[in-house]
Amino acid sequence: MKKIRILLADDHQLMRSGLRLLIEQQPDLTVVGEAADGREAVALARSLRPDVAVMDISMPNLNGIEAAHQITQTHGEIAVIVLSMHPDESYVLRALKAGAKGYLLKDSAESDLIAAVRAVARGKSFFSPAVSKVLLDDYIRKLKRSGAEDAYDLLTPREREVLQLVVEGKSNKEVANLLNLSVYTVETHRSNIMQKLNLKGVPELTLYAVRKGIIS
Amino acid sequence: MDANKPQPGVPQKAPGPRLSEPGLRKVLLLAFGGLLALMLLAGVSALLSLRQLHDVEQQVTSRFLSRTQALSEVVISVHIYDDELAKFLLDNEAAALRGEGTAIAQRAAKAHSALHRYPSDGGPRERQLLREIEDSLSQQETISSVMLSLTPGHRKTRSSKFIQEQLLPRSLSILQVSQQIASLNSEELAKSNQDLLARFSSLQSWLRSMLLAALAAGLLLSLLGSFYVLHLERQGRERYLALADSRLELEKLSARILDIQEQERRSIARELHDEVGQALEALLVELGRLAKLAPANEQAMRERISSLKSLAENSVKTVRDIALLLRPSMLDDLGLIPALEWQAREVSRRGEMEVEVHSQMVSEQLPDEIKICVYRLVQEALNNAAAHASAKHARVSVREVTEKLEVEITDEGQGFDPQRMRGMGLLGMEERVKRLGGKLKIESRAGHGTTIVAELPFEPAKSA
Repeated sequence: MKKIRILLADDHQLMRSGLRLLIEQQPDLTVVGEAADGREAVALARSLRPDVAVMDISMPNLNGIEAAHQITQTHGEIAVIVLSMHPDESYVLRALKAGAKGYLLKDSAESDLIAAVRAVARGKSFFSPAVSKVLLDDYIRKLKRSGAEDAYDLLTPREREVLQLVVEGKSNKEVANLLNLSVYTVETHRSNIMQKLNLKGVPELTLYAVRKGIIS
Repeated sequence: MDANKPQPGVPQKAPGPRLSEPGLRKVLLLAFGGLLALMLLAGVSALLSLRQLHDVEQQVTSRFLSRTQALSEVVISVHIYDDELAKFLLDNEAAALRGEGTAIAQRAAKAHSALHRYPSDGGPRERQLLREIEDSLSQQETISSVMLSLTPGHRKTRSSKFIQEQLLPRSLSILQVSQQIASLNSEELAKSNQDLLARFSSLQSWLRSMLLAALAAGLLLSLLGSFYVLHLERQGRERYLALADSRLELEKLSARILDIQEQERRSIARELHDEVGQALEALLVELGRLAKLAPANEQAMRERISSLKSLAENSVKTVRDIALLLRPSMLDDLGLIPALEWQAREVSRRGEMEVEVHSQMVSEQLPDEIKICVYRLVQEALNNAAAHASAKHARVSVREVTEKLEVEITDEGQGFDPQRMRGMGLLGMEERVKRLGGKLKIESRAGHGTTIVAELPFEPAKSA
């Protein structure tokens, strides 16, 4: 069986070796490279073509989010997991906009990293459970403050199905095949969802889904 | 604090030579007084002289007039006397009967008295001429008295001859003498007038020189005055500049303190995060691995490991919180607005109060010092609102208007009187904003919440 090839990027040697040890205990995972800053990470990603890149946000020269952006722009097949200290939507949204597939809190890296790597390697998203919880709490507070209703209730069952598949990373065509719909209908559903939830773009949609516990 | 001592906090004595001010002032005062006195003197003396001249002129004129009048009286009275005498002698009967002999004597007396009324203060020549007239008159009288004493018959035959040979020539000579006196008078008048004219012109020249002197003194004085004013002005400007300098110095100093503080915080945060934080995180990872290695039946050991883990987790969190307080890495990672939103959510998460963040057209390429300033401003304001004003709700809004960033933080807390309460927090905000050339406005009233508005000018980043 082909091993999942992983690139580790963190400016701290201690952290990298800790993660490496964790990963190399798994028979199906292997670390192919280590980078100490964002620039090196981008260069190594381009030359090594790993399946997954695990990227710390705070790095010198080029921060993890910028590095992730540069990698996913030219190599969309590389799944990036962002490693962060902050369970906060500003960070999550930034990471999602930069094309990251996973968002992992450093606190829980040790327990969630393996699952996260396997999930994103399969094309799924992964978010630390703690992140989902914080996002949901913030969201509920915000709803309470503004007195608004949760727009999720406005979605039809079909739209909820489409939402789930979209945030799992499926293309319109894949969604159409899975649900036995035309691509055009899927597109209509998508734009209706965006409008009802008052969201712009897939990153915001994904954030919403994480918040609602639709994906984790 | 000792390091501050040599700083020029107080304006030093401005350099350059300086005139002793009271001395210059005294000189100016004296000069002004002198000028005024000069002008007063000139005016008063000119007035006095004019008056004197006027008096003299009047004297001269009245002297001339009185003399002329007296003379004409003399001439007229003599003439009348002669005339009557002649008439009497020629037409004697009737006149003699009417007793006109006494009337003629009266005429003679009148002529004498007219002569005596003539002012006697004249020169010797005049006096001599007057005597001549008197003599002629007396001779006339003497001769005519002889004529009058004759019988009318005699008189009749000799009258014509007497008049022709005696009376007329004497009348003529009196007339001539009186003409001489008149011309003497006229001469004297002309002389007096010339004298007056001379005095007048000397007064004129004296006045002219006085005026010139006053003018020169005035010129000098105004020169002196303008010099003094210029000097004062320069002094004022120097003082102002010195003051502005020291103010600038002070501002620079406090800006530098803020800079150093930020730098210091950044490096401590970096140190904490890099060294302590990362070590603790690595420790966490290791502990996780250890927990997995521990055999399932060793319950006590597993519990120990898990308590160690939670200890390490707490430490990681504490270190992270401290580091974030010192240097918000969000600013570097996310940019200003997401960092503010993060901050607002943090405050909300702590359950202190609800904070909304609104932003409009804010560029992502803001200069670092602007980002820090806004971040700290919001941090301080939210802190104050939650801690001191017990606000339950606050609102932060940021917008960019033509190379200017406007930040407004409003809370619905207790408020305060900004005139009286200027705590260190507010002063710090002011320092930060001022240092970037911005303006800070704090509006607050007890019971009505607080609004803090900052305007920060910035140059759009040129970096690519």
